[in-house]
Parts: sequence; C-alpha cells; structure tokens
Amino acid sequence: MKLSEADKQPAWCPGCGNYSILETLKEVLDELYPDKSGLVLVSGIGQAAKLPHYIEANVFNGLHGRALPAASGIKLVNHTLEVLVTSGDGDMYGEGGNHFIHAIRRNIGIKAMVHNNQVYGLTKGQASPTSEPGFVTGIQIHGVKSFPFNPIALAIVEDCSFVARSFSGEKEHLKEMMKAVLKHRNGFALLDILQPCVSFNHTNTFKWYKERIKPLDENYDPFNREAALKTALSTENEIAVGIIYRSRRKSFEDSLEVLENGPLIDRYEKNK
Amino acid sequence: MDLNIRIGGEAGQGLVSLGDILTGALSSKGLHLFTGKSYMSRIRGGLNWFDLRIADSELFALKKYADLTVALSADAMEILREYTSPEGIILYNADGEDKDRTVYLNFLEIAKETADLKVMANSVAAGAIFALLGYEPDSLFVYLQKEFHGKGEEIVRKNLKCASKGYAEANKKSLKLKAPGGVNASCDYTSGASAMALSAAVSGVKLVSAYPMTPGTATFAGLAALSDKYGILVEQAEDEIAAVNMICGAVYAGVPALTATSGGGFSLMCEGLSLAGMMELPIVIVIAQRPGPATGLPTRTGQEDLKFAISAGHGEFARAVFAPGTIQQSYELTRRALETAHKFQTPVIILTDQFLQDVQKNIGILNPEYNPIDRNVSEDADENYRRYALTPGKISPRAVPGGKTLVICDSDEHDEKGHLTEDLEMRNVMQRKRMSKMDLLKSSLTAPEFYGTENAELIFICWGSSYGPCREAVDKLNAQEKKAALLHYSQLWPLDAAPVSRLFGKNARVFVVEGNYTGQFLSLLREYGVTGKCEPLNRYDGLPFTAEFIIEELGL
Repeated sequence: MKLSEADKQPAWCPGCGNYSILETLKEVLDELYPDKSGLVLVSGIGQAAKLPHYIEANVFNGLHGRALPAASGIKLVNHTLEVLVTSGDGDMYGEGGNHFIHAIRRNIGIKAMVHNNQVYGLTKGQASPTSEPGFVTGIQIHGVKSFPFNPIALAIVEDCSFVARSFSGEKEHLKEMMKAVLKHRNGFALLDILQPCVSFNHTNTFKWYKERIKPLDENYDPFNREAALKTALSTENEIAVGIIYRSRRKSFEDSLEVLENGPLIDRYEKNK
Repeated sequence: MDLNIRIGGEAGQGLVSLGDILTGALSSKGLHLFTGKSYMSRIRGGLNWFDLRIADSELFALKKYADLTVALSADAMEILREYTSPEGIILYNADGEDKDRTVYLNFLEIAKETADLKVMANSVAAGAIFALLGYEPDSLFVYLQKEFHGKGEEIVRKNLKCASKGYAEANKKSLKLKAPGGVNASCDYTSGASAMALSAAVSGVKLVSAYPMTPGTATFAGLAALSDKYGILVEQAEDEIAAVNMICGAVYAGVPALTATSGGGFSLMCEGLSLAGMMELPIVIVIAQRPGPATGLPTRTGQEDLKFAISAGHGEFARAVFAPGTIQQSYELTRRALETAHKFQTPVIILTDQFLQDVQKNIGILNPEYNPIDRNVSEDADENYRRYALTPGKISPRAVPGGKTLVICDSDEHDEKGHLTEDLEMRNVMQRKRMSKMDLLKSSLTAPEFYGTENAELIFICWGSSYGPCREAVDKLNAQEKKAALLHYSQLWPLDAAPVSRLFGKNARVFVVEGNYTGQFLSLLREYGVTGKCEPLNRYDGLPFTAEFIIEELGL
C-alpha cells in the first residue's frame, strides 16, 4: 500500500499547540542557525517527538523516553553540535523520568523543550505525569489519584543550570524563551512549554492557561534558588512563565578531562 | 607436570591480594600459569577462593582438586580440605601441630612478631608457599620489592622480612610438594576482561557507557583504567537503558562505542538493541553471563544467554553474536565484533562469562598500539544524501552529523531519507534491505575450530568459554588413547551448522558441552538441521567446566 502522500503533513490535530511551537522554533532556528549542519534534533516518541521531522536539521528520532541518553551520547562525541531534544510530558517526565533526573545531575549541554499538555495524546487521552488530581480518562475512570510531577521544582532542586517555562499561546514569549535556551552555554537547559490539547484535555484548555499564566516580575532574580523554588512551588492560582532559575554550574563537557583536547569525533584517526 | 594452588578464605581477608602476589612472583619463573576466582556475592565473610595453576605445558582450564590448599579461615579448612588431592598439602593459617598432610602456620601472628604489622600476613603466606613448593624465594623478593616500591623503603624491608620468615618457617616442615620447573613461558599475563578492554581501546572505541553489573563490570573497569591513555570517555549511566541508548547516540555521532553488562542488564537493553537494528547503528554489547534467572548467582559463571542473545529485541533484524573461547580470542573477537558492526551497520553482541572474564593466563604481550578500525563513514555525502539509500550492495553509505549533509535517523519505519513513513511498500523494501545483511554476515563467518584426533570417537561440540576445559579433556583422553576431539564455535550467529554434521562417524559419541540446563546450542543445532545422535553435557551449578567434570560425565 502506498501511503507516502499521507505522511507529508504533520500528524497533529487542527488547533494543536504543536503548530505554534513548530512555527516559532523554525523562526528561531532560522535566525540563530542559518546553517543547520551543526544542529541535531533528538526526540523519543509522542506527538511532540514527531516535530524534528518537520524541521530542517540532523535528526535522531529514537525510542519512547530515551531521547536524553541518545542526545547525551551525541553531545559527548561531538560537543560542538547544538543538541536539542523535543519531547512531551509523557516521554520526558514519565517514561524518561530517570534520564531527566540524571541529565540535569550531569549538567550536560542539551537543550530540552518539553511540550507539556498534561495528557497523553498519541495513545488517545490517558493521564500523564503532569495531569491534575481528579482528571478523568478512559483509564483513570474515577479520576487521577496521584499528585502531579513538578518538573520546574525538581530541576531547581537539582541545581539545573537553566529552567524556564512558557506557553504555546504566547508566541513572543515563547520565542524569547527558545532563544534564551539556545543561547545558554553552561549545561542542561529545560524549557517546559504549556500547551493545550484540543482533542483529549478539556480541563486545561487554551482559556484555562491564558487565565493563569503570569510573566515573572522584571526584578525577579533567576539566580536566587530559594526564590525560584518558592515560585515553582507556588500554590496560587497562577502559573509563572519566564526564566525561573539559572545556576553557574560548569557543564559536563567542560568538566571532562577527556574532552580537553577537543571533541572525540576529531581525534579518532590519530587519537591525539 | 602441573600443580594447583588454591587460596581459600573469607571475603575481605586479602586472598585475592595473596593470589596476585603469587601470580606476579611466579610469572618470572618461565612457568605456564592459569588463575581463576570463585567468590560469593558479599564484601565480608563467606568462603571465596583463588586458584593458581602452574605447569610446564600450556594450561586452558581450572581444576576441581588442589595440590596445595592454603586455608586462611576455619571455613576454608573445613570445606576445601575435601577438594585437596590425596598427595596434596593443606597449609592452614592457624596454630596447631602438623598432622594429616596439614601444615599449621599462623600468618597473622608471624607478621605481627616480625614486622608488628598484621597486614603483612600475605607476605608471610607467600614465603611459606614458595618453601612448600620447593622454589627459591628470589623471585618473590624481587616481586615484593617492585610491588611495594612506591610505599617507601621501610614497607619494602618489612615485607621482605615477613616473606623470609614465612619461607624459613615453612622450610622447617618435612612435607613438601614437587613443583614444575620453568620452560621459558612468557611472564606477561592478562585476564579475559582486560584483553577485551585493551582490544576495544586499540580498535578505537571512544565512548563506553555502562551500569555496573558483575561480571560485566570487569570489562567496564578495564576500559576505565585505559581511558586516559587512549582518550576514551567512560560514563557510568543511570541504568542499562540509558547505557545502550547513549552508545546508540554516540555511534550515530560517528565514533565506535560499546557497553558491557550481564544478562539482567541486557534484558533492560533489549529495546535499545532493536533500535540499533532499525536505525542500522553499529553498536557492540558485551554480555558477561552468569547463572539466572533473575539475580541468580551474581558472581558465578554460566552460558545461559545464548538463545536470548540471538533473539533479543522486538521485531526482526540482523545481528552477529561472537563468543570467545580464550583470553586471546577475547582480544581478537572484540576487534572483529567492532569491525563487523561497522562494516554491516548492525548491532553485534559478544558473549563471555564470569569464568572467562576473571581467568588470567600468561599469553604474552597483546598489541597495545592504537590501530582504529575502519568506521566505513562516507566522506563524499552531499546535499542529496539519503541515510538509507537503496544501493546494490545493500549497505547504505553512512554519514555523520556535523558534516556537509544532514543525517536523519528514525526508529519508526522510514524512507531512504530517514523520515518516518507508513508507505507499506517502502516498509517491505526497507525490511528486506535490513534483513539482507544476514546473508552478508553469513559470507564472512568466523569458522569453528577443530582440535584433536581425526576420526575421533569422542567429540565435544562447544562454544564460548567451554573451549579450554574441553581442550584439556581432549588432551587427557588422547593421552589414554581414547581418540577425542573438539569443535569450538566462537561465532554463534549467524550459525553455520554444517561443520558439526561433518563430524559424525560410525563410532563417534558426540557431546554438546555447555553451561546451561536446557542445552541451548544443541537445540539450535537441531533447528539448523543437525540430525545425528548428540548427547547433552551440561553444567549449571555456577562453577566453570573442568576436564575432570567433563570426563566424569562421559561415564566411560
């Protein structure tokens, strides 16, 4: 059966937040990386993880939850490459949770953009690690009982070198955050992108997010860890967006003796 | 002539250090050496032992019985006494009157009296062992001087004093053993795990990512020890899933990469293995086997993961599986595994086990010169490059990211460019292209090795580390004019069963010798058309095969 024509369009629903994320990312990448040869997009499985196929770049679209270890292998072999992971809340915070913890621990220079819509899309509507208690699905028929995973707080606790949050419905803010992430130079950067799912999440809608998101104050100091954690743990009925936390840790690549003489890829033949 | 020295004691008593001292000191005497470890999964207590065989001819295996048992603890005395040959001697680390071929010497007390340092008990013991073997202590002294040189003159002097005292005390005893003389054998010895690590390093492995799991850890640690010299990035992953996905990323980015684990860890790697099959990534996975299921016997040996290795991972894809039989082969086949992976762009597995990882033998110097394998990376890729281009040779040119072209890889079924596709015709084309590598792999197999008498009446079919014990059994049987031979497979997948079929004769009894319960290789041979009468000869108690075990099982 020849279905190739059907493959050329993005596999997302009309109105999906992924479209604006894709469009914004394309603009940002075109601006920062006119030459795409040094850019690698790594993803796992899920609707967000399909994004690399719609962008001009090197692509490693691997296994569900395993984008970070694959991206780590790529970055460690050639740290001159810009390695960008595009993932979703299930892929990064559920299946890949252990790798998320340890990539931040290493502070490896990977940029992770997580499309967080608080629901599983590709498998048609089950709860995700960030779904709220009471969220009813075909599996969680009496509603979600677990407490939602807080990626921002976890990243701050781990002293992640860059932690930001944005919303797919605020294009200018998203663009600014994507640029800041890509310009970050001392290790792991997390950009959690809130995003409505028009098909499966009728609780956390576009309107729901729009009413709650609140940009950080102009005087906010992202290097203040306690304030950042307080922001991340805030139980007020608002969601902070912006650069929530930064630290001055050295990147993993910069701390490895074996990389002092340059990337491994350049030293293969002569071993110098 | 050969002699087996067994040092038994509790974990934490320093018996491996004593074994290392003896191995080092005896290695300069021109003897053939063969050492092995048997230990429990604990840090203190229990009963562990270290075997050191010395001989005037080449050795290939461990032995059931010891000629000199050095018992450091009461448990060792109690349990290992039974496994001492009738003409042997037991050297017991305790106070007492010599009797029943048991010699008493309290190493700790002697060390305390001589140097006021209990930690030098090993030097006392080593001196005593030299005396009981009837060797002059010179080479021991030279070794101790070299070994403790860095710790200062005082420490060297005290160790020498302890060794002399141990030697003198044991020399007073009337019981002695007749030990073999030197035959100019090499003084350079290494282990299976170290040989594998060296081979990986010189062949150009640049990234190693693994999660510690006995007995695969020995290879991981061996590579860490070589990492500064050869410029290897060694990363301890958070789990085996991360380890295998990390090396998938690394080989995509352009350098050879490897991981090492045991069966349990490999279970976690299966999805990553399948990924390498789909993405056509040249990864190499070392599985150092131990008995299962589940945690099984963590520090023991086995050959239970053959069928697992050839079929692990969902879906169907090409792979090669190697199983070295000796330390030398651990070195040679590691390079071959890396070359095979890169030539055919598909995952390769090396099956070893605790026995082969830990044994040491003086096989001479292995070439340490950096000589990287051909990665078969395409240098002339341009903007029209397609990672999975269909070519007459079936192997698509492999470019790496960061060059002139973009490289697109997908775990989904994909088109030539690498983008995911649900074009079901393309699916067929791609699956046939990937599976055609099995034919290419079959065309360059490592042939099994035959050893022994032509027209043999007793034939051992074996694979992996059973080679050495089978070889010693063959030699013993032939010395008794029993007409024995072996056929050893060091490449298990793809499998060519024809050499087995050719061995069947009118009077031959054919045994398939393997360290598992179900006879995995035998059943594979059956599947591949071997129809003659074969008898399984299995061991699954966690201990390695020995020639004695094999010959006893024949029931001759």
